[in-house]
Amino acid sequence: MVWLTGLSLVVAMSMIIGLLAIVFLNGVVTFWPRQLDLVEMTGGDSLLGVAVREEAYSASPGKRIEIESRVASGELPADVMTEDGRLVRRLYMVGNKEVLPQPFRWVDIADIASIEHPVDATLYERMAWGAWIGKPEAVLLVQQKRVPVQGEGEGPALEGTTQTRWGERRFERDQLEFAPDEDGTVLVRERVFAAEGTGEARRLFNELHPEAAKRRAVIEHIKKHDIGRVNLGLEQARLRQREAELRRDDIIVRERARLDRALEAHERGRLSEARLAAARERFDRRRAELDAAVEAAQAERERTDALLDAEYKEILVEIATIEEYDDQYRVLIRDVTTGNFAPLAQTRPDEPLRISQVVRAITGNDLTFGQRVGVYFSRWWEFVSEDPREANTEGGVFPVIFGTVMMTILLSIAVVPLGVIAALYLREYAKQGAVTSVVRIAVNNLAGVPSIVYGVFGLGFFCYTVGRYIDAGPTNPWSPGMWFIGLGGTVVVVVGAILSQMFSKPVPGKALKLRHKLLGWSTFALWFGSVALVVTLVATTPFFKGFFRAGLPTATFGTKGILWSSLTLALLTLPVVIVATEEAISAVPRSLREASFGCGASKWQTIRRIVLPRAAPGIMTGMILAMARGAGEVAPLMLVGAVKLAPELPFEPHFPFFHLERSFMHLGFHIYDLGFQSPDSEAARPFVWTTTLLLILIVALLNLTAIAFRARLRRRFVSGAF
Amino acid sequence: MTSSASATGPTRSTIGAAARGSDRAHTVDSMNESGGFTVIEAIRNGQPFKPAVHESLAQESPIVSVRDFSLYYSDVKALFNIDMGVPRGKVTALIGPSGCGKSTLLRSINRLNDLIAGVRVEGDIFIDENPVYAPNVDVIELRKRMGMVFQKSNPFPMSIFENVVYALRIDGERRRGVLEEACEKALRGAAIWDEVKDRLSESGLSLSGGQQQRLCIARAIAADPEVLLMDEPCSALDPIATLRIEELIGEISQKYTVLIVTHNMQQAARVSDYTAFMYLGRLVEYGRTSDIFQTPTLPETEQYVTGRFG
Ligand SMILES: Nc1ncnc2c1ncn2[C@@H]1O[C@H](COP(=O)(O)OP(=O)(O)O)[C@@H](O)[C@H]1O
Ligand SMILES: [Mg+2]
Repeated sequence: MVWLTGLSLVVAMSMIIGLLAIVFLNGVVTFWPRQLDLVEMTGGDSLLGVAVREEAYSASPGKRIEIESRVASGELPADVMTEDGRLVRRLYMVGNKEVLPQPFRWVDIADIASIEHPVDATLYERMAWGAWIGKPEAVLLVQQKRVPVQGEGEGPALEGTTQTRWGERRFERDQLEFAPDEDGTVLVRERVFAAEGTGEARRLFNELHPEAAKRRAVIEHIKKHDIGRVNLGLEQARLRQREAELRRDDIIVRERARLDRALEAHERGRLSEARLAAARERFDRRRAELDAAVEAAQAERERTDALLDAEYKEILVEIATIEEYDDQYRVLIRDVTTGNFAPLAQTRPDEPLRISQVVRAITGNDLTFGQRVGVYFSRWWEFVSEDPREANTEGGVFPVIFGTVMMTILLSIAVVPLGVIAALYLREYAKQGAVTSVVRIAVNNLAGVPSIVYGVFGLGFFCYTVGRYIDAGPTNPWSPGMWFIGLGGTVVVVVGAILSQMFSKPVPGKALKLRHKLLGWSTFALWFGSVALVVTLVATTPFFKGFFRAGLPTATFGTKGILWSSLTLALLTLPVVIVATEEAISAVPRSLREASFGCGASKWQTIRRIVLPRAAPGIMTGMILAMARGAGEVAPLMLVGAVKLAPELPFEPHFPFFHLERSFMHLGFHIYDLGFQSPDSEAARPFVWTTTLLLILIVALLNLTAIAFRARLRRRFVSGAF
Repeated sequence: MTSSASATGPTRSTIGAAARGSDRAHTVDSMNESGGFTVIEAIRNGQPFKPAVHESLAQESPIVSVRDFSLYYSDVKALFNIDMGVPRGKVTALIGPSGCGKSTLLRSINRLNDLIAGVRVEGDIFIDENPVYAPNVDVIELRKRMGMVFQKSNPFPMSIFENVVYALRIDGERRRGVLEEACEKALRGAAIWDEVKDRLSESGLSLSGGQQQRLCIARAIAADPEVLLMDEPCSALDPIATLRIEELIGEISQKYTVLIVTHNMQQAARVSDYTAFMYLGRLVEYGRTSDIFQTPTLPETEQYVTGRFG
């Protein structure tokens, strides 16, 4: 038996360790800069790329026989085939999406004539279109400028040399204008070869690249923040105008009803002509007032629009200025297979790449170990601090980490108080009996409900019911009269509940009477009814029109969002917290409670000062479990909030800071998206591992923080100093 | 159910139960002709009997008066028509074999038994003239008039200072000066000030067992209670710590009325002025400690205090 139990423990442990090891190993190697192979093939073809992995496959019989014979004759080494006669092939990451048919390419080992590792082979990570692998040939300064024609009827000099910062350099020009203007100049596009030859080009590229990257960052910042601010202003102005219109429509409806009543009364002869005229006059006056308000809002909006438009144009000019400057600096990198150079854009194959389009250049064959480590960590840093690019297969996952952490924190903020209060009631206040047992069993079983069910509930209840209510108010409001009757009824029920509760309290030390039992049940029923009535009243109030009506039909809260996700997961993890808290509370020694009561403390004082602090570590355990479960949950999030690519973070560094209505990115969902929804699964594969590793690390980190905090709490109860 | 005593309230002259008994049809005298344990037999057979309450008690004025008090744990009766007064400013010991209801009686006085579901009482208890079990009694106020020390020391998981001032804190006292003064006074009163005065901010759990118990005593007297209830306060302590506590009880009794439950005959003899002997939920004999230990009226009491029965 000892062997059996030990064995199963070993099996379980090795599975867990194996899982972690696989994730860790695969995740850790992704960013290590690898060698670039220049592969010459027997067919004369060649490629430059990074070897990804090898596999054996069943080739066509013809090919197989041919290769077998070549192996037999000793022309090829034996390791191009496996023992069972399958061919070995190797996958190369070759990048260069604009010019190559596939960014990944399988090569038969048998077809490889030679492999070299040229020192100047470089992998360029680009802002768009993925990696470009090639050799830098030149750094160019490209400019459009007017130059004088050389003589009457002739064009300008199309080749020559010119003085640059780096000395005398060769240039080439394309003539763009053929008729010279009055001062004898024509427009040309000039390419100055600031550096030529691989070594020179690499050196100059490295010199120019930091500046270029800074310019790119500046432009990005302007686009994101300044243009974002303008757009926000425009949107707010639109909303203000819409609000004025909605308000007018609301009031006009009420006023018209009032006028109609007056008219009817007049017809019945119960309202004098003069009073009717007054009513008419009031209506017209109100309408004129409201129309004026709407017009004012409209004028205001036009004014803001004009202002913001001007600002927008200024920003565009600013961007254009930087871009024009930036546009000069180009780098010519040639693809080994096709001989094409890296283009500015796929649609402009004749223009070389801007230096600023390169994120990082990695000379995979020419790095010392220290440099490799440097590149490795800089890639990690980019991964955790940058936004994603290229359908999430490049760049970083900062918004994803942020979304995950924020969601987890929100979830704890929601679930801990709720769970603790529920557990306190169950353990400390509720009379222990059949009802509490049933509730306890129900809570425990909630933990077993499949998480997608919570997702469906969250979508239906939080997003579509509560969210829409917040956006647009009740869908079927009662008339004010009805509603006030309901309010009166509710007050009666609540008062009844309070009274019933007061009288149902048994006198301690005296026997429980039937009266108390009946009153206890009625208290329960009345409180239940009160809650139901209050909810109904809130849901049908004619006085609430929604906070975000002006934005409709675009939903604000009535759709996926981080708040709803957190609440859904809070619900999902509630049983964990309740169970843990109940256990912690019941583990508080009876003697401590008695001592507290003996000192004259009330029940609440005892709970607050003795029970809760003492149970805090246990409650923390519940929170840790809830966080761990919530942070890793994916299925419900797909319904209530996680998205593939969130345009904005749910937090902004200016008022009102938190945008809980926004959808967010989540590591778990990100893994799913990368692994199964990515258009380029080969490229996404390493990111799946790193993201998984990151998810594990973040969950571990969150837990460790909580555990450290709990350990501090615990120390108090053992002995020694605080 | 309402006893006649609770209707009229106790009177100073009737500290014992001597005045009662007339409404009992068959009271059994303490000793029958054969010299056997008639009271014990009566108790075992469920017959009424008259507890032996000494005359000496009549001279004392009671601060706590228990009047025809019975207590049930659900359906099990744990206390049977107890009648006794606890003399003001004296130390009174409750002795009796384990399970006889000493703790139950003690905890009935500050209504700590309310916390246990299914507890039901008959009769009443009075603190001075105030009923403890009247329907509109503020239990919290009541408990504030009494301090309680438990068998196992149970300091709160807080600093020593916070432990002592707990009762004041829950009363809403915030002034640091007042709290510090009360803390020092209570700690001095519990003869532990010199040991802990430099480490008031350390956890109360960092003290030794005996120190913890004295800390609990300090906590119990911090709010200046009228009565100090002690439930076997030394039974978990080593002899030296026990001795210190016993000395302490002697000092405390100059200011407070003490009702102490003890298992230890010598301890009862050493610390108390009066002793009540209980058996199976009944008060059996009650009198001056010297009388109970030297010249008890009932042979059962004699047997018990000399350790030959119980
Ligand atoms: N919480 C309780 N529930 C039910 N019975 C109890 C409870 N506490 C004590 N009793 C019973 O009441 C009787 C008296 O107990 P107790 O007052 O603790 O005795 P003592 O302190 O004299 O040893 C015992 O028979 C005991 O079993
Ligand atoms: Mg006891």
